[in-house]
Amino acid sequence: MQLLISSVCMALTSAVIGNAYFQKQQFYPAVVYITKSNASMAVIYIQFFVIVFMFGKLLRKIFLGTLRAAEFEHLLERFWYALTETCLAFTVFRDDFNPRFVALFTVLLFLKSFHWLAEERVDYMERSPVLGWLFHIRVGSLLTMLGILDYLLLIHAYNSTLVRGPTVQLVFGFEYAILLTVIASTTIKYVLHAAEMRTDTPWENKAVFLLYTELVIGLIKVVLYLLFVVIMAKIYALPMFVFRPMFFTIRNFRKALNDVIMSRRAIRNMNTLYPDATPEELRQSDNICIICREDMVNHSKKLPCGHIFHTTCLRSWFQRQQTCPTCRLNILRTPAINSVAMPRAADDAAAAAAAAAGGAGGVAVANAAAGAGGAQPAGTEDPNAVAAAVAAAAAGLDLDGNLGRARRPGGVNVPASFTELFAEANRLPNGLPNLGIPRPPIPPMPMLSPFMMPPQFAYFTPPPLPPPPMPQDLSTLSDDELRAMEGDQRKHIEQRLKLLGNINLMLDSVGIMMNQYQTLTARLQLAAGPSTATPAAPPATGDATESPAAPAETSSSSVYDMPSTSAAARNQQEEARQLKTTAGVAVVAAGNGVEKVTIEDLGADEDDVPSTATKTVSLGNAEAEVDENSSKLNELRERRLKFLQDNNKAANGSEKTTTD
Amino acid sequence: MAGSALRRLMAEYKQLTLDPPEGIVAGPVSEDNFFEWEALIAGPEGTCFEGGVFPARLVFPPDYPLSPPKMKFTCDMFHPNIFADGRVCISILHAPGDDPLGYELSAERWSPVQSVEKILLSVVSMLAEPNDESGANVDAAIMWRERREEFNSIARRLVRKTLGLET
Repeated sequence: MQLLISSVCMALTSAVIGNAYFQKQQFYPAVVYITKSNASMAVIYIQFFVIVFMFGKLLRKIFLGTLRAAEFEHLLERFWYALTETCLAFTVFRDDFNPRFVALFTVLLFLKSFHWLAEERVDYMERSPVLGWLFHIRVGSLLTMLGILDYLLLIHAYNSTLVRGPTVQLVFGFEYAILLTVIASTTIKYVLHAAEMRTDTPWENKAVFLLYTELVIGLIKVVLYLLFVVIMAKIYALPMFVFRPMFFTIRNFRKALNDVIMSRRAIRNMNTLYPDATPEELRQSDNICIICREDMVNHSKKLPCGHIFHTTCLRSWFQRQQTCPTCRLNILRTPAINSVAMPRAADDAAAAAAAAAGGAGGVAVANAAAGAGGAQPAGTEDPNAVAAAVAAAAAGLDLDGNLGRARRPGGVNVPASFTELFAEANRLPNGLPNLGIPRPPIPPMPMLSPFMMPPQFAYFTPPPLPPPPMPQDLSTLSDDELRAMEGDQRKHIEQRLKLLGNINLMLDSVGIMMNQYQTLTARLQLAAGPSTATPAAPPATGDATESPAAPAETSSSSVYDMPSTSAAARNQQEEARQLKTTAGVAVVAAGNGVEKVTIEDLGADEDDVPSTATKTVSLGNAEAEVDENSSKLNELRERRLKFLQDNNKAANGSEKTTTD
Repeated sequence: MAGSALRRLMAEYKQLTLDPPEGIVAGPVSEDNFFEWEALIAGPEGTCFEGGVFPARLVFPPDYPLSPPKMKFTCDMFHPNIFADGRVCISILHAPGDDPLGYELSAERWSPVQSVEKILLSVVSMLAEPNDESGANVDAAIMWRERREEFNSIARRLVRKTLGLET
């Protein structure tokens, strides 16, 4: 096809020239004849374009070899846009429209195409498995040639503008300046890619360099475009033909700027806050970075959600998105532990105050049903408590939330009582008549794992729900009770439903509990990681009440892999025993089949006076009573909080010194 | 040293070759361009696409796996989530931030932990259970919802066509 067109064109041209020569017999009159005849000139113009096209093909053969399909497609697409814009530019300069002008634009388009191709080629470097020396020679010489041409043409445009005042050369000068920036960024990319190819390990900082290159080049381009639009608008008219490229340039620049800012923040977080993964953690996971699918030997980081990746892979991902690749936890919005601890301490104080207010009656009222908004007064036997609860609610204090958060910093408060709670629950009535049979120690709950929630919810935990009663194991049910469930009369079925309801309730609360464990361990690890990684960090102080935080951190380092969670839970339970925290649950069967659970948290033994927190929580539509008579407990919590903060600060400090 | 995208694609190719999931075959079109893959997807059993073998093409961006690949069926397809030109419209193939049809949760979008295998498995389940809220092919979506028999017969015809049988 192309061959046909060029040969037809050749034939036409020779016919035109032959005809002119045949008619005039002499060179000069023949030239005059051709230039006077429109048809002849048209043929000559077409021939000119064909020659340019063929020259382009020749250069392409020399510098680029054969084009890939994608390259050709992109070239074509950009070419049509550029052509349209050129036509638009013609409208601005319609007064000095002449062959020379067209020729200049042709040269510009011609050079532009080669810039695009060079860009494509350099981008292709990243994807191609092997590149010979021919590739490097070609790209190198192409870039040099284009750079020199751009520079010369820019200088020419500049000089001619100086000498003759603003003409169409202004446009060319500007276009070549833009092309020079393109060449600059392409060259930088080429150098970076080539440097990476020489090394055997992936080069971490390449992406950062690329990002900054893009930012700087983008800024230069934006400035150039704006200047050009302003100058053109003053001298000629609004240059419509640069609006499209200007729009894209500004958009790219904005994106690059945003990327730089966000990724800097994320990467700073990563470097300072997140611990390096320890060898044990790597062993426990399958030791493969799921981003690049390669082994993690060193340089891997653990996110607050517990997922481990290569530092380099994370860095390049954070340049796009500031989320955990696995669970999409937004790491910029996830508070670091020291920024959260402060407000929490304040909440604790508020909770303490509320509790103290209610403490007159010894009871504070809270609706434990997932923070349904209002604390529903329920313990009608104590109007004081009701008033306190209402006051707390009015003050915008979500009592549930406060209680929940107040328990978290301690780290072991909730888990401590977990086993005991269940153990106690078994001995107590839970809708069925009490058996009074002491139970053997509860084995580690095997049913925990199915209720694991995806860790991305870990930071939005509902307020903690005390565990509901343990349902009766059929082997320990008395004959009477079994009989109560037999048969098909209404009361039998009711009994069975009640049992099932209990199981259901318990499973729900186990799920919630597990969630809280995860939240806890995530927070604790955040603080603990650096201290284990850097021995310089202060170990847990001798304060007996604060020490639980440290063992909790170290023992729970494995928590994040789903299968190991129950192990971590067991660890926590053991610590709970060490703490000798005792807890009791009193379950009172209430009317309408709604249970009330009373928890007596006696606090740590180290506190000479056991602080108590008694909660009566109704699950369902009923209400709950809480006794937060626990200024001691709060004091303990505050101390722990402070310890966590200090620990975290120290860890951060040491981490900084090591990374810097 | 080749780029990380290339190494990851090679790793995935190796994994897909060593341990291929059922009903899916995928690999680079040619060994010197790992960024363009061909895939064959068997229509899931028990659906109107059962028995069909549908060829598709995957094109990977240079920054894979940070950006998702593009997938396009190279045979005729009639499905609510496949554009008339064969492009597949499922949320796993969309980077967070761009939402062509404005309904997807970011939790189901592309992330570097996804893989070719997961994409193809999602496509298989998409064939089995079209999402008629996404309007990649509105005609197909309406037909799937309201005239299931007609949809099934079209699908069966496509299946026969991919197998080279008469329609």
